[in-house]
Amino acid sequence: MTHNGRFENSVEHQEISALIPWYVNDTLADTERQRVDAHVGSCAVCREDFALHKRILEGINAQPALDYMPVASLKRLQARLDVAQAQAATAPLPPIEPSRSDVPWRGWMAASIAAMAVAIGLLAADRWVQFEVRSKQPNYRTVTTSIPRPPGEVIRAVFSPSITLVELQTILDEAQLKIVSGPTEAGVYSLASNSTLTVRSSLALLRRHSTVRFAEGTLPEPESGNSP
Amino acid sequence: MTPLAKNSSPKERDSALLAAVAAGDRRALEELYLSYHRRLARFLSRFTPRYENIEEIINDTFMVVWQNAKDFRNASQVSTWVIGIAYRTALKSFRRQKNHNVAHSLEDYPEQSVDPTSDTEVHDWLKHGLSRLPMEQRLTLELAYHMGHSLEEIAVITDCPVGTVKARMFHAREKLRQYLPALGGGPGESPARIG
Repeated sequence: MTHNGRFENSVEHQEISALIPWYVNDTLADTERQRVDAHVGSCAVCREDFALHKRILEGINAQPALDYMPVASLKRLQARLDVAQAQAATAPLPPIEPSRSDVPWRGWMAASIAAMAVAIGLLAADRWVQFEVRSKQPNYRTVTTSIPRPPGEVIRAVFSPSITLVELQTILDEAQLKIVSGPTEAGVYSLASNSTLTVRSSLALLRRHSTVRFAEGTLPEPESGNSP
Repeated sequence: MTPLAKNSSPKERDSALLAAVAAGDRRALEELYLSYHRRLARFLSRFTPRYENIEEIINDTFMVVWQNAKDFRNASQVSTWVIGIAYRTALKSFRRQKNHNVAHSLEDYPEQSVDPTSDTEVHDWLKHGLSRLPMEQRLTLELAYHMGHSLEEIAVITDCPVGTVKARMFHAREKLRQYLPALGGGPGESPARIG
């Protein structure tokens, strides 16, 4: 169906029609915007396109967006960077080309000696890196080590890496807890009580959620009752 | 990293951070990561519901940023450069996923699986229609309408001529028009326009 035969096949119409998406998202330069303004005012086809694009834009932006917590993801990126940097530090050097000497065996001998020196150097560097890593880091991780407790901490918990900020806040509100520290490298949060709710009750509320991977109290439980 | 003035613009801040990344500053990379994570995660969550996939794409993107920051020549904005890397990483990732739910052409879905006469919300129709677009067309649409990028920025991000971006947007619109009668008339009403 033709809405506006006067414009539909003109070059101007085709150019303006192609710009309408960026007229709608308000990123056109002033001169282009003025051209679209002038054309849309007198072209029914472009007005219809404008309405269509505007509704698509509104529809896209009306869809709910989830917010994710970046900290755990960043820690995994840092681990990848550590590995990449360690690999780069111990990567073998490119092979040494033999020198263009008049006496060929001298070049080969020099290359062999250099290669052996590099190999010995790499071996020593590798041993040193391994020693450094072993001496600095234990080869295990715990979530209940004797690291000093942050003030007020009553519970340590680990959440699913895919938990959203909104979900986390909802769970904490429900269990009447607040974050006092974390996450650690192992993703552990230290939580303090926000109310008079007992630690046991807060733990029970936390453990109801599948996104809570781990939750334990950090204070010794009393014989009866369990006021924090 | 050189401290920035308090009134520096986001563009200046990004440029300073990337320069520091190019010099090997891991703290600068982390700061850049944290400032882009939210918008990239929101953008990518429109294509995949699994956070594991989203995180993989974002972290792959920042590995590339870390490795290639020294090659950035200010030919575009830092944000356009970063999002361009994320675009290519996402495109590769989506193509790798054998069972992703994106069709390669509308003809793969000759019959509508949703009753157009039902009371389905316009947004449901839109979501349904978007999921049937070829990935490049959908990404173009989302870059313009979800991320708010200009035509020229999308050309840089997608590494395509401006004419290709316009054509992708045109075809996306025409397919959505066919698929979303509630939005803009049925297929028979679509007049001939730019080719």
